[in-house]
Amino acid sequence: MAQAPLTPAVLHILLALSTGERHGYGIMKQVQADSQGRMMMGPGTLYGSLARMMAAGLIRESGKRVDPEMDDERRIYYELTSAGRAALEAELQRYRAVVTVAEGRLAHGH
Amino acid sequence: MATKCSVRRFLEWYSMLLRLYPQPFRERFGEGMEQTFHDLCREHGSGGRRLFALALWVFCETLVGIVKEHAMQISQMGKTALRVALGALAALMVPLVASQVVEGWNWPPGAFLRVYVLFFLTGMVFALVSRRMGVWQYKAGVGVALGAGFALGWSNMVHVADTGNLANLWYYSVLVVGAAGALLARLKAPGLARTLFVMAALLALISVLVPSGAPPDVARRMAIGHGVYVGLFIAAGFLFRRAALTEPKRGLGH
Repeated sequence: MAQAPLTPAVLHILLALSTGERHGYGIMKQVQADSQGRMMMGPGTLYGSLARMMAAGLIRESGKRVDPEMDDERRIYYELTSAGRAALEAELQRYRAVVTVAEGRLAHGH
Repeated sequence: MATKCSVRRFLEWYSMLLRLYPQPFRERFGEGMEQTFHDLCREHGSGGRRLFALALWVFCETLVGIVKEHAMQISQMGKTALRVALGALAALMVPLVASQVVEGWNWPPGAFLRVYVLFFLTGMVFALVSRRMGVWQYKAGVGVALGAGFALGWSNMVHVADTGNLANLWYYSVLVVGAAGALLARLKAPGLARTLFVMAALLALISVLVPSGAPPDVARRMAIGHGVYVGLFIAAGFLFRRAALTEPKRGLGH
């Protein structure tokens, strides 16, 4: 069965975690950078999405430790699971297919 | 200095706002949300108006999140109640079919209704309590403890009805201790483990001290039955103890 399209928040979080584990604020900053500032995600959206993604097995907690670039508070880090990586790849494939169709249509002027 | 005070005040308000989340969500993500809000405040903390605008946006956004989480919890609760209601109906088929084939089993319709309510309530307690911890040992502990408690209460009710020996009502004190212990422990695994061990000890004590009034062969069978219940309560206690040992590992540093 084809997988349902991911919500923009879930897609951006998966994308942010695709290069390595991050804590909540790190994910937020990465999402902002990836979307060139167009996607502003607050803690409510971020942690609500994280909860659902963990329940769906797309991500998991990878540990709790201090971020050396920030303060001395211990933070929970999150990382992609293999199911999360597969979901991201499937979504990117879906986007590529849509882009191919759209470019074909536009090339013929319709 | 003024900015630091504002940040501290906003943090306090945000911490109060987070209390409106459903408890399981708050316990799991509350600390991370506070840290993230603190990080955002530090980033925007250079100007008072910017900080106020940020706090207003985060508070509104979090409020939407709170409403969403509660709505999801209610919808999930409805689904759970439906599943439990169907499960209880399936379980009710056992006495319903048995009453048709076993001679002398003639419950009035009200008795079936009461049994259905008991099945449903036990199932709901299991569904609601077992989701408080993700580890299988906790869920198994809740299942074993509830199953054994239900069977003990049920068999005792039947025994009292058959023999009229009111001394057997003492056995209900085991269930009362269990319910009180679970409430005092706030359903946390270490406290539940202690409660189950106390229940096992109390049941063993009652079965030795309270005269059953039954003939020797029946009394022997009852002693075996009590032994099984004691064993089940101890097993549930060990499951909760294992769950308590497993849980702190989640989320700890490498």
